[in-house]
Amino acid sequence: MHCVRAVTDNLYWVGANDHRLTLFENIHPIPKGVSYNAYLLLDKQSVLFDTVDWSACRQLLENIEYLLNGKELDYLVINHMEPDHGASIEEILLRYPKVKVISTEKAFMLMRQFGFHVDGHECIEVKEGDTYSFGEHNVTFVGAPMVHWPEAMVTFDTTNGVLFSADAFGSFIALDGKLFADEVNFDRDWIDEARRYLTNIVGKYGPHIQLLLKKAGGILDQIKFICPLHGPVWRKDLGYFVDKYDKWSRYEPEVKGVMIAYASMYGNTEAAAQALAAKLCERGITNVSVYDVSNTHVSYLIAESFKYSHIVLASVTYNLGIYPVMKNYLEDMKALNLQNRTFAIIENGSWACKSGDLMQKFIDEEMKNMTVLNQRLSLASSLQEDKSVELDMLVDAIVESINS
Amino acid sequence: MLFQTTPAHEELRAKVRAFAEEEIKPIAFQLDQQNEFPDEAIKKLGKLGLMGIPYPKEYGGAGLDALSYAIAVEELSRVDGGTGVILSAHVSLGSWPIFAYGTEEQKKKYLVPLASGEKIGAFGLTEPNAGSDAGGTETTAVLKGDHYVLNGGKIFITNAPKADTYVVFAVTTPDIGTKGISAFIVEKGWKGFYFGDHYDKMGIRSSSTAELIFDNVEVPKENLLGKEGDGFKIAMSTLDGGRIGIASQALGIAQGAYENALEYAKERIQFGKPIGFQQSISFKLADMATKLRCARMLIYSAAEMKEAHVPYGMESAMAKMYASDIALEVTNDALQIFGGSGFMKGMEVERAYRDAKITTIYEGTNEIQRVVIASHLLGKPPKSESSSSSKPKKPAPVTGVRKNMILRDGTAEEKVSALVEHLKKDGHDFTVGIDIDTPIVQAERVVSAGKGIGDKKNMKLIEKLAKAAGAAIGSSRPVAETLKYVPLNRYVGMSGQKFTGNLYIACGISGAVQHLKGIKDASTIVAINKNPSAPIFKNCDYGIVGDINEILPLLADALDTGDKQPAPPMVKMKRPKLPKPAPIGKTYVCGGCGYEYIPELGDPDAEIAAGTLFEKLPEDWVCPECAESKEQFIEV
Repeated sequence: MHCVRAVTDNLYWVGANDHRLTLFENIHPIPKGVSYNAYLLLDKQSVLFDTVDWSACRQLLENIEYLLNGKELDYLVINHMEPDHGASIEEILLRYPKVKVISTEKAFMLMRQFGFHVDGHECIEVKEGDTYSFGEHNVTFVGAPMVHWPEAMVTFDTTNGVLFSADAFGSFIALDGKLFADEVNFDRDWIDEARRYLTNIVGKYGPHIQLLLKKAGGILDQIKFICPLHGPVWRKDLGYFVDKYDKWSRYEPEVKGVMIAYASMYGNTEAAAQALAAKLCERGITNVSVYDVSNTHVSYLIAESFKYSHIVLASVTYNLGIYPVMKNYLEDMKALNLQNRTFAIIENGSWACKSGDLMQKFIDEEMKNMTVLNQRLSLASSLQEDKSVELDMLVDAIVESINS
Repeated sequence: MLFQTTPAHEELRAKVRAFAEEEIKPIAFQLDQQNEFPDEAIKKLGKLGLMGIPYPKEYGGAGLDALSYAIAVEELSRVDGGTGVILSAHVSLGSWPIFAYGTEEQKKKYLVPLASGEKIGAFGLTEPNAGSDAGGTETTAVLKGDHYVLNGGKIFITNAPKADTYVVFAVTTPDIGTKGISAFIVEKGWKGFYFGDHYDKMGIRSSSTAELIFDNVEVPKENLLGKEGDGFKIAMSTLDGGRIGIASQALGIAQGAYENALEYAKERIQFGKPIGFQQSISFKLADMATKLRCARMLIYSAAEMKEAHVPYGMESAMAKMYASDIALEVTNDALQIFGGSGFMKGMEVERAYRDAKITTIYEGTNEIQRVVIASHLLGKPPKSESSSSSKPKKPAPVTGVRKNMILRDGTAEEKVSALVEHLKKDGHDFTVGIDIDTPIVQAERVVSAGKGIGDKKNMKLIEKLAKAAGAAIGSSRPVAETLKYVPLNRYVGMSGQKFTGNLYIACGISGAVQHLKGIKDASTIVAINKNPSAPIFKNCDYGIVGDINEILPLLADALDTGDKQPAPPMVKMKRPKLPKPAPIGKTYVCGGCGYEYIPELGDPDAEIAAGTLFEKLPEDWVCPECAESKEQFIEV
């Protein structure tokens, strides 16, 4: 049976929720599921904005069939070609042989590469600033290259103020009946997953998000709805989420606080991380979170890294190098372009302690605009009383840096 | 064409040789031993008209040719290499730039007394960071009204501090490399113009070599030599001619050693005959004579070319390079012929052996001579992105980023108490201390003495301060090695002990690079020195400009807390790191794939040199990853 919700007059959410998928992009865990959003506009002409993942195709088809109620589907607008949205294109083309496809030059190229047979259909290639009318509704197409694929665009309906924002402003977590951000407690229940989605999927492309925000900034007062391809639709308090996006894409910390990520083989480095956390809290810095890199998926570490102003890396030395899971976390931070953070280092090694120097070198040489505090805590196997002065100096340095 | 000198040349040779044999030879050993400058002999040399051989009579010179000058240097060096270079540095380096580039007024005022031997000249180009590469010059001259203000210093300056007139090179336009260097005539005795150490050299010990220090020296505008920015050109053309002098010096040293060896080989009898008739020795002599003749031909020919005003830069480089290379070989063979006797102090070949070495190093190392020769053969190398000497660069202080807080205000007492406040605030606890004999590498604190400490009795001040500061005692290299105030294992430096503790108090230490390298990991460096231009001040966290005798007792009193408690295990204080270099231009990111164009890296596959700004990329340049055009890039 169909499962649709109205966004506003003549515009319907026709997507689906997915709780069965374990790993988004086959890499990021999604324990609370995800939604694939597609939208159907019933103007003089009918327009489908994007499709869904192949696993949700049947639900999409039932939803469209119900709303069209025997009429033809006239247009298919593809804002983003990634298969979690584009995989059902071929099925739509087969079921609606007269549908005209509107998208960018690069998206058409990708459709052909993925094996969708668009060439029997009318393909309308649009570029930045092109407009189109479907009857009452006039839309403008705006390029969104590298947010987070090169073919991406967003579509703005100037008639009702709906922005089809593609992957921008999306989030993990299945909608499960809710549609609007104001129908959930977003800041309590959703923001962490929204952050994890954005930072891991689009984090690298901050400058391009900024470019898109700049374009949106010019028409912000006209935007009434933001309809992303994952997660809830925004119709209230748009500024809240736009502001988060602005911070993330400028790589500015959201909060002053300390994330402690430790790599510990037998609990000794962990003990040092815990001692540090306790001392920080004792000094009034309670915005502290502690993660074991070995059993925390790196996507969570990345999200937290984008959130906090200070990151403490505590790592054992492993084969004269950085502990591999910690190294992987560092590599991921570099890949996702994280910047403007202050790091502190705890190193451990039982016979040749190398991890501190290597982590510092990585941060200094491979990453942008990072500061490493000089006060490093060096452990030989475990934290002993003789290191309490060093630990206190590390605490002092972090406290001073946070309060400065 | 007989390749022979004229009778006039040989007459001059006889005259200089007689002078050298009579006036220099008897005292040469003493000069060498005592590190002593032959003041009287040089005065006589002036009276004989030999201090301005190649300059016109109207400027007080002898009006002779360049070859005559070469012969004079050769003959002096034949007896004493040190005396030879006094003449060479005076004529070629100290006087020639004024002769070639000076205004009529400058020539009258400065060249005349130089050429007539009333005054001695010197040349100041070399600096700690500007040796073969003059582009590294850091001495600055800032125009203020009718005068330039000169700041900085020069090292290894031949004839200093004996010389009266110095041709000094300084940066007038910063950050444009060699084109920003200008030349100035500076007089001894001007306010703020000091001399540092008289170096303790391996050879040519009768010549004086010292450091020049400029602390806000006011140089009248009219003492600018040539135009602003001409400095590098003046320096290079001076060195072209200077090479003839050094080549002649090398030739003379080798010639003297050869003659001594030849004579000895005829006298020394082993296996029943003079050793000279042993084939091994005779072949040595044959080789030596051949090399000498070769060198002499090269030098005389270059001098003749100079005199004839034909280009001679390559030929003078060849002469300098070859003559000094073979001087090492000839003096080595000469000493070998003397056997064990040659190894003894007081033997002329022993002195010649040491004197010869410098000739392959100064006025352009022989490596640089080969660069000069090769550049004449090959022209300019193809453009490459690698940094050249003309590229501006600012070397960071040897000891990394330091606070460089020089305490200037107030009385000595106020400066000392401000210093102590800073140190305490930084976490140095003076109620605890270590033994003054703690090995340097294990010491948390070191109070170190440099040559500025003066007399040995002043070491009492160091000892008192070390005890008051709870520190071990260290020193600069000369204080341990030459002055022997402390044992050799207590000098701090690259070649000595490295100090990695928390507090280093340098007293009267000027800050030679090798010393600074030994303290680069010190958490806090305090400098106390009376010379405000001393490099130690650029490399310190806190500095007090003042007299050791005044500051040290005050500081000791201020730090004295009675008996020190034994210091707990050292906790190393960390310090700021070098800031990363500022980006040379904006980074751009591709809208087709997210590739970042970083100007520092360029795009080697597309033959875009590192350092090319995005704006300067050719119009048809495309993204190396996805082939998007330039327009698809956005600024980061």
